[in-house]
Amino acid sequence: MRVSAGTELPVFEVDEVRAAAMKTMAVLLRDPNPIHFDLDVVAALGMGDRVINQGPTNMAYVVNMLVAWAGDPARIRALKVRFLDNVRAGDRVFAGGIVTSVAGDGRHQIAECDVWLDVVGGTRALAGSATVALKGSEAAGETPAK
Amino acid sequence: MNRPMTLDDLERLVGVEFPVGEFTIEGYEHWLTTDAIDSPPLPAGVAHPMYAYYAALGGMGLTLDELFAMVGSSAADGPMFGEAALEFREAMRVGETYRVEGGITGAARKTGKRAGVFDIVSFELRVVDSSGTVAAVSTNSFIFPRRTA
Repeated sequence: MRVSAGTELPVFEVDEVRAAAMKTMAVLLRDPNPIHFDLDVVAALGMGDRVINQGPTNMAYVVNMLVAWAGDPARIRALKVRFLDNVRAGDRVFAGGIVTSVAGDGRHQIAECDVWLDVVGGTRALAGSATVALKGSEAAGETPAK
Repeated sequence: MNRPMTLDDLERLVGVEFPVGEFTIEGYEHWLTTDAIDSPPLPAGVAHPMYAYYAALGGMGLTLDELFAMVGSSAADGPMFGEAALEFREAMRVGETYRVEGGITGAARKTGKRAGVFDIVSFELRVVDSSGTVAAVSTNSFIFPRRTA
């Protein structure tokens, strides 16, 4: 794999976001926000008729994409995202990204990437940037940041 | 019912430190988490990078309910995530216990055409391993609707 500005990251897909997984995460995270498990509250807040995925889980889909691409979680250095819209139970989502620059930090070649999570047939749920260290053989050459 | 939070109340939150807490990445919880978030396979013993977030929020020394109450809100008000930033400095390990320290770093009141009045509150959490090394830094902001502000 040769990486340079413009390299597209392989997409990570979730076929169907699961309401049951939201309940699991609500318990694990001790997250009392009922929009993740109580349809009555979702409706009362005017947020539709499907429970809302936890924002960090949407972020995790992007991390999954980066882990699958990098091959080693330790090579992911940073991730910053803005939450733009909700993902709901039953949605199909794609995490994607593109390399914007490759540069050295003295020890490693570092890829800066734009990343996002899109709901199929819907909107962009989050967008942001990620920093990933590359193996020495991967960098196709340093490129200036945009 | 919470007392309405004034702008002065909000601005005084900046600099408030949370109680120091800790978080252990339990093996069974890690298994359930990686299943719930559809994780790809990970090296044995290595925690999913999202534990930079999960450990930070889970071990921050106060619950989300207590954090929401601190800013004059509650889970029933429907607080939402605004931004999140994670800095991964060291690989986190399943079975390890981490100290979590940090506090509120920003607070602002805004008005949107659709959303009405809402507050954005930011906080930074540092996840520290048993040797004192910061393994990860998690910076987050929540958006709190202020329907009665």
